[in-house]
Amino acid sequence: MQEEFNEIFLKYHDIISLGVYGTAIGLILIGLYAVLMKKNLVKIVIGLTIIDAGIHLLFIGIGYINGGTAPIFSPGYEDAAKRMVDPIPQALVLTAIVIGFAVTAVALSLVIRLYKHHHTAKIDQIKSLKW
Amino acid sequence: MVITPIHYIVVPLIAAFAIPLLSKIHKELFRIVPGIVMFYNIIISFVLMKEVNEVGYISEIIAGWEAPWGINLMITPFSGFLASLISVLGFLIWLYQYRFKKVIDVDEIKSYGILQMMMITGAIGIIITGDIFNLFVFMEIVAITAVSLTSFYRGRDGAEAGFKYLLIGGFASALILLAILILYTQVGTLNMAEIAEKMHTIPLGIKSTILILFIVGFGIEAEMFPLNGWAPDAYSQAPGPTSAAFAGIVVKAGIYGLIRVIYTLFDIEGAFDFLIIAGLVTMIIAEFSAVKQKNLKRMLAYSSIGQMGLVLIAFGIGTKTAVFAALFLMFNHAIIKSLLFMTGSILMYNSKDKTISSIHGIAKNLPFVSIMFAIGAFAIVGLPPFSGFWSKLYVLTAAADKEMIMLIIAILGVSIVEIVYYFRVVNKLYFATDIEHLDIFKPSNNSLIAMGILTITIIVIGFYPDLITGYLHNAADILLDRSSYIDFVLKANVPIQ
Repeated sequence: MQEEFNEIFLKYHDIISLGVYGTAIGLILIGLYAVLMKKNLVKIVIGLTIIDAGIHLLFIGIGYINGGTAPIFSPGYEDAAKRMVDPIPQALVLTAIVIGFAVTAVALSLVIRLYKHHHTAKIDQIKSLKW
Repeated sequence: MVITPIHYIVVPLIAAFAIPLLSKIHKELFRIVPGIVMFYNIIISFVLMKEVNEVGYISEIIAGWEAPWGINLMITPFSGFLASLISVLGFLIWLYQYRFKKVIDVDEIKSYGILQMMMITGAIGIIITGDIFNLFVFMEIVAITAVSLTSFYRGRDGAEAGFKYLLIGGFASALILLAILILYTQVGTLNMAEIAEKMHTIPLGIKSTILILFIVGFGIEAEMFPLNGWAPDAYSQAPGPTSAAFAGIVVKAGIYGLIRVIYTLFDIEGAFDFLIIAGLVTMIIAEFSAVKQKNLKRMLAYSSIGQMGLVLIAFGIGTKTAVFAALFLMFNHAIIKSLLFMTGSILMYNSKDKTISSIHGIAKNLPFVSIMFAIGAFAIVGLPPFSGFWSKLYVLTAAADKEMIMLIIAILGVSIVEIVYYFRVVNKLYFATDIEHLDIFKPSNNSLIAMGILTITIIVIGFYPDLITGYLHNAADILLDRSSYIDFVLKANVPIQ
């Protein structure tokens, strides 16, 4: 089963990697669209998280090597140094996810505060400050 | 105990976690502990600056992983100077806001001290780190704390200003993350020195893409036009001490990021011209917007943006004199604008609607604060004998050396605009008598001491600029000396004991 999967994966590797990059860039663009065009505060926050998700996917994508292993030396994996997956992007993504989580939490708390203050979540109706 | 750069980051972090526990012992501790930490930062700065003057560079390796692989903290005369400036300002801002408000209930003030402390830590972290991803992490610390502080007051429109800031800041951090990602695919490292060394191997198209992403990302923190929409709102809605911290600390960190990326990482010639143009547009638009403002803090915020434009111009000229002038300008802006925000927010406390017209003639009731505001105003427009005069003079000298006549005309023209709106406020403070002020909010003694120290610094530096020009020349030399930075980090990195 595993071998079969690997074979199929190798065959369509180019398409899959293209798909990963395409998805990542698509997510970034969707997020940008949501941030720039949507009027609802919550949707804007969701847009921000979608941008983040796209960048994270891109990070993982560039670190990947076809048929790679974890960068750990263990029996059966003596050649790990040659075909290991780059661990740094993964470590970076972990950090970036945590940061994104914190930003989202702060953003949502601000949305709640704005909603309580103005009784609306439409960004074009909240304009006590001049833009 | 040996003092090393890591203390800048570790001590405030430990304190931030300890404060909620300590405040169980005594309620006053959550106000005092941030002050102790800030004072310790000054001690660290003092020790490290002394050491840097002897050895040139300090690089601390974290967790035993040497420079290209692990994270290193760099103290150079340039970054050490900025870190010291931020530490001293951080302490003065703490002194100013200590017992700034007794009325607000305890819980809110508790988080206030921690947030302020973490914002300063993040800014110092941006300055001393030698790793590009670490820089991103510290920038996010600054962004999150700055947003929380902006929306600190529940009554005002803080949440709106904070959301705006967070939206723009989130966008900036996404762009910086993307830039780091592309950079990593090209050079396979995150250490700034190694990136700088391998920079020439990147094709020009990709290089400019990365540079643009970085400039936009850091430009948002550095209040570069047109990315500064957050600044006037955030400055005007944040509590008074926080506005001072934004002007003195957060913006300095943003400028540092921009300068580190352009001067050390990249070797593209056109970037300097871009800085001049961006700075010029920023300065002109901001100063003209400042004239129209009725709200004093918004006016100061626009003036702050304009000053940052001037700093960008000076960095864009790129000669040794210009970099020196830019650093001098950053120093002056940090102390003067902090003073203006500190005094300004006390003046605003006594106004009904935060406008300039409601503080007419208040100098009678608040003589000390008003005279300090006036000194700050004179200093920032560049009147001799205050310190602002020298930095503006050096910028003009640097521009004259490169024979940029139009630039000199623009800077001087904008200075006139600056004089118009600052002198208008000072004039109204002293000579307008159409409003009677009754119950006056007097600043506490420690606020007066903090503002007094800044005022004295402005006057002393104005008479004896030689006190700091030595440090600044040194810092400018080091910033322009790209190859010695790279060599030091990559080849001669000996961990300090």
